[in-house]
Amino acid sequence: MSVFIDRGDRVLVQGITGAEGSFWTKHMIELGTRVVVGVTPGKEGQSVEGVPVYHTVRRAVADVPADAAMLFVPPRFTKDAVFEALDSGFAKIVAVADGIPLQDAIQIRKAALSCGARVVGGNTSGVISPGLAMMGMFPYWIERVYRPGRIGVMTRSGSLTNEVTAMIVRAGFGVSSLIGVGGDPVPGARFAEMLPDFQSDPGTDAVVIIGELGGSMEEEVAEAMESGAFRKPVVAFLGGRTAPAGRRMGHAGAIVSGGKGSVADKIAALEKAGAAVADRPRLVGELLQRALGAASRK
Amino acid sequence: MKLFEYQAKDAFAERGIPVPERRLCATPEEVRAAAAAIGCPCVVKSQVLRGGRGKAGLVRLVASPEEAGAYGSELLTGGLGAAHGVRRVLVEEAVDIGRELYVSITVDPLAATALVLACAEGGVDIEELARTAPERILRERVDLDVGLLPFQARDLGYALGLGPELSGSFVTLLAGLWRVFREKDAELAEINPLFVTKARGDRPAALVAGDGKLAIDDNAAFRQGGAEPSREYFDSELAFRAAVEGIPYLQFDGDVSLMCAGAGLTTVVYDLVNYEGGSVANYLEFGGPNYKKAVRAMELCLANDPKVILIVTFGTIARADVMADGIAEAIAKLKPRCPIVACIRGTGEEKAVETLRAAGLDPLFDTEEAVRRAVSLSKAPRAEATRAETTGGRA
Repeated sequence: MSVFIDRGDRVLVQGITGAEGSFWTKHMIELGTRVVVGVTPGKEGQSVEGVPVYHTVRRAVADVPADAAMLFVPPRFTKDAVFEALDSGFAKIVAVADGIPLQDAIQIRKAALSCGARVVGGNTSGVISPGLAMMGMFPYWIERVYRPGRIGVMTRSGSLTNEVTAMIVRAGFGVSSLIGVGGDPVPGARFAEMLPDFQSDPGTDAVVIIGELGGSMEEEVAEAMESGAFRKPVVAFLGGRTAPAGRRMGHAGAIVSGGKGSVADKIAALEKAGAAVADRPRLVGELLQRALGAASRK
Repeated sequence: MKLFEYQAKDAFAERGIPVPERRLCATPEEVRAAAAAIGCPCVVKSQVLRGGRGKAGLVRLVASPEEAGAYGSELLTGGLGAAHGVRRVLVEEAVDIGRELYVSITVDPLAATALVLACAEGGVDIEELARTAPERILRERVDLDVGLLPFQARDLGYALGLGPELSGSFVTLLAGLWRVFREKDAELAEINPLFVTKARGDRPAALVAGDGKLAIDDNAAFRQGGAEPSREYFDSELAFRAAVEGIPYLQFDGDVSLMCAGAGLTTVVYDLVNYEGGSVANYLEFGGPNYKKAVRAMELCLANDPKVILIVTFGTIARADVMADGIAEAIAKLKPRCPIVACIRGTGEEKAVETLRAAGLDPLFDTEEAVRRAVSLSKAPRAEATRAETTGGRA
């Protein structure tokens, strides 16, 4: 089982002929992802890894139906590409671009909400269910990082994800599905919005969230736990505990503003809701062992 | 990118927001002349990006052009201004203040809208107020596609206690601020304080923007004229040089220089150094599009004269072997005198390890172990650190 993407989903890739698009299309297919069609304006008639390319999304889906859209499109064109996918009725969209203008990101999320679609990203590595399929850019071939298993992961950071999933695997677990919501201030999809999928996924025993300072996504997870909407164990690891006030650390979304977003507040909210919070990557594995017990490992 | 007050006020004025009469000055003589032209008393305001200018003595009400000129000298050629990096000052007419308000436009990430914040008390620290008395902040969501509607502004104006005589001005002012927010691709457009002037004789009370803050979205620079980074926007020479290279960089004043990849990982390495009792000299990311810039990155680190350089990466597209090649090249070229601790994992890591060993390093695979080693080296006396270097830079 998996969340968001599995082997049954037919994937359309926007920007498929670019350097990143073609490189990761190859790897998505190698992992088992069903990439069926690609789009790059001006390149209709070409093919990438045997996948036919069309000028526009409308032209592509007229010939080859697809269920999910994967965008390898530069940040300044991402809004256009997301709206193009929404226009053709895609309800699952992943946009990896780092550097989407803030006000574009607001319009992207607003449109996704009003269409009932899910847009994951930007500024993300994407989505992966190890051993099954992925939409994005993950080194799934590194066994000690992307072993299949029963732990769901949601993350705001690509680089930190490798660090933390390596600790999950080291503790004897593996990953069911991983959703990179991304490091932008206005991500298309938020942690709490993905929780129902993990709640209903029989392949997921617990969820690890990799958060950081800024915004309120971690607090929203705590609310979902408190309300009983999410009932599986949660382990959280948060970056930026010692970050100086008022300075943006790394991601555009990693800043305390409006009196909200400090890591201390997030930890308090999560712990009150019953989540275990790790202050170091290594502890994530130990806290999972404690939450699930040694018997239910793997 | 945060803009200076004078730039924010220019953007305001261009869109119909009332601002005081003002002149931007770069020399004490210009300050004196501006004060004479505007009339005294007037206000001389340092143009710096930090908050708390008043407390730092960087803003002053002056009674005469001579006093303005003397204060201008302190700011533009004297020690006070030099200490705070003052390059320009704004001379502004004094406003006859009746009341002060707060108003800003920012973003609501959850609702995917813009968000107008307003408060009946001006000059407040809105961050502090949001923590201590959030009920005193008025909030109004604005749909980006529909735009700010007059009824929303009217309602806010009356809620702020502005009567019918000022309601129309407030609606116009907020419409102007909305245009600033949209047209400048702002992350934040703020007027704090917003003055309500005293009615005097046949001059009725009016609204005037006392201060202006405008933060522009760097990601939208391509459609905002795409200005090159300019030294005056950065708090240190190194931060400016890093920005020119497109390398994310924050200046601190500790011992461990971070040269890491990935925003999330670098932030966590920063935390771990602090947990271990160490201190960070600088935050630097050379991952993502910069993963071939190891030489530039190490130059920036070395300019801090750190006790140790700590390299931690776990890259996918930013290949470990390519980063290791860059680090080896940087060591050969720059001959760092401080020890280097390296923990490089990800795509091509086997080859990366060989490269680092050939460069005289002892690569590690565990982030926390690498941080502990770096912090312990940073506490060693310099002499010892130098000995480590004589064994080939090995940490």
